[in-house]
Amino acid sequence: MPQADQLHPFTVLALATAVLTITTAAGYWPLSLAVIVGCLVLATRHRCLGKLCALSALIIAPTFGSQLMVHALFTPGPSPVLAQLGPFELTGAGLWLATQLALRTAVLVVVGLLCALVIDRHRLIAAIDLSKAPPQLGYLVAATLSLLPQLSAKQHAIGQAQALRLGHVGRGPVGWFQRIRLRSVPLVLGSLQDAADRAPHLAARGFPAAGTHTRLREVPDSTIQRVLRRVALICAVAGPALILTLDRFSG
Amino acid sequence: MSGARQPVLEARIESFRFDGSRHPILHGSHLQLEPGTLNVIVGASGSGKSTLGAVLAGMLPRPGLDLLHGQLRLDGQQIDHRDGQGPRIDLAVWARHVALLPQEVGQYLSGIRETVAEELAFGLENIGVARAQMRTRVRSVARQFGIEPLLERAPERLSGGQQRLVALAALSIGEPQVLVLDEPLAGLDALAAERVRQVILELRTQGRAVVVLSRLPDALTGQADASFRLQDGTLWPVTVWPASVPPAITEWPAIEDPATLLAFDHVSAGYPQQSAAVLEDFSLRLVAGECLGLAGANGSGKSTVLKTAAGLLPPRGGTVESCEDIGLLLQNPADQLFERTVRREVSFGLPRGSLHRQRVERVLDELGLSELAETHPYELPVSARRLLALATVLVREPRVLLLDEPTEALDEHGLERLHRVIERRLAAGGAVLFSSHDESFMRRTAHRVVRLAAAPGRSVTRQQFGDL
Repeated sequence: MPQADQLHPFTVLALATAVLTITTAAGYWPLSLAVIVGCLVLATRHRCLGKLCALSALIIAPTFGSQLMVHALFTPGPSPVLAQLGPFELTGAGLWLATQLALRTAVLVVVGLLCALVIDRHRLIAAIDLSKAPPQLGYLVAATLSLLPQLSAKQHAIGQAQALRLGHVGRGPVGWFQRIRLRSVPLVLGSLQDAADRAPHLAARGFPAAGTHTRLREVPDSTIQRVLRRVALICAVAGPALILTLDRFSG
Repeated sequence: MSGARQPVLEARIESFRFDGSRHPILHGSHLQLEPGTLNVIVGASGSGKSTLGAVLAGMLPRPGLDLLHGQLRLDGQQIDHRDGQGPRIDLAVWARHVALLPQEVGQYLSGIRETVAEELAFGLENIGVARAQMRTRVRSVARQFGIEPLLERAPERLSGGQQRLVALAALSIGEPQVLVLDEPLAGLDALAAERVRQVILELRTQGRAVVVLSRLPDALTGQADASFRLQDGTLWPVTVWPASVPPAITEWPAIEDPATLLAFDHVSAGYPQQSAAVLEDFSLRLVAGECLGLAGANGSGKSTVLKTAAGLLPPRGGTVESCEDIGLLLQNPADQLFERTVRREVSFGLPRGSLHRQRVERVLDELGLSELAETHPYELPVSARRLLALATVLVREPRVLLLDEPTEALDEHGLERLHRVIERRLAAGGAVLFSSHDESFMRRTAHRVVRLAAAPGRSVTRQQFGDL
């Protein structure tokens, strides 16, 4: 099986789109679970399992909590009560519904994050630049995807400079919040200044390209991948339509 | 040498004023650039060099904001600016003829390309040059600038000097007729500086007009076809530069039974995102009253030594012992400045009413920044910005002063102030460790020099200056 970094970024995105639309439309928990397990296996192969689990947990945990509050604690109807605290009752049916809905969201989160972790941003930008997409799209994606690493580097530099001048800020949540407060204003102002300083030089270097543009970097593609992308995109549209139609006819 | 050739670019600047400024920063200046010439413009910090460079490169005036009275004539085509009215210059088209390397090269590098090779090709990509042709040109320019080993490295992880080389290579790959280079030799080691000098002379031979903006007359000045001094916003032709007098070597008092303030013992160190160590088996001892210089090629680990000494990089092996009272001037002053005014910047983090707080005005005065106390740090010339970053360190009166390339971008006045700062620190029983490519400043100021081996990841060597 090819690694994601050997596949064209568009192929990975097309396959992910197909998986997402079909799984969401199906709303069938074993399928959602299977997709999540599949993603975890792929993450293991790409050595990003820990990162995927941590990032996913950050998003899924509050999502599941909110589903639980909406569905599990107030679901009316004859269902066994699993736990009770004052006016709140945790029912079996409510818990099951909350889990199913959270699983559906989890698929979105896990697949999306996996794509973000396995697709190299420079390859993705190059793939867009080399495609027939308008140059503005490549510019937009490049600017967006470069923003986080640049902010992170700047934040690190500001943190070092402040550490030299502030000495000990304190540990724990209080120290963390203090550091965030001290860094955020210079981070935003410094980033705006950087952007303003860099803009004329980028313009002088012809960026974003107004007409024909090329890339030094190659992003290998193949006929098989192109076919696969078309099939995946057809599935992404036709799959949910078929599932919803079958659902309607089966009552 | 230039003969009667038609100028490729001619600039007549009656006056140029930034938006919101009452006084023109440039006025009464005329510059004519002929193909195949080297033109050196020397001016002190704040004299308007970078502004002049930006006007030549079409980046100033900003439409609707700044006021330029004058004409630019490029390849026979005249552009008139009058009362803020002038055509909007298409930078991408103008830059194919006149390209500018700014003093802060970080502004030139795109920040969106992964490797140096891609950074070099960036401008070519945007005008649709075929891949095979780009590869050939990238290889050729990399060979010319001696940066072939850097081609697959990330531009943002290079040292300051390496970034300057890469930016200069990226600028020349587009083969513009006029290259405006703002401090092209700043931050370069002797080898790289010599290579850049050779490249500049080669570019002249190839028929390009090269403009070098410099704070001090240097080796290029002697080879220039035309030289100017930029003083109070006006260009004055110079036929003969006064012979430079080497500064006197400071006679430091002998250090008797000094206390050790900083000691590296077989230290290895590197950056968290890089597995390879930059320093290995590095040992050094700095005593009270001593000024020690760190020399070495770009990327040899000078900044790593200083950051490790300041505690910003934990050593991977060996031990670092230092007194707690330590201050570091970072290589890029922009990394060290984040307040709204110069005074607030120096006061940052100092408790109100503290002794340190009371020193703010004195430090500003010592570094000649008192008149700029209410200016935004980003509005300062680069030289003043570096002095401001130094002020933020000095106000805490650290016993050990660590300075990363402190001479970069400083004019004569700035260098003199820096020298006095070091003198006072040593007289007060402190110690100074600084890195620099400025051998003349190092010779004048340091008791001894530690030279780092050029190849990162290898053991460093130590030598006394007298041995070199």
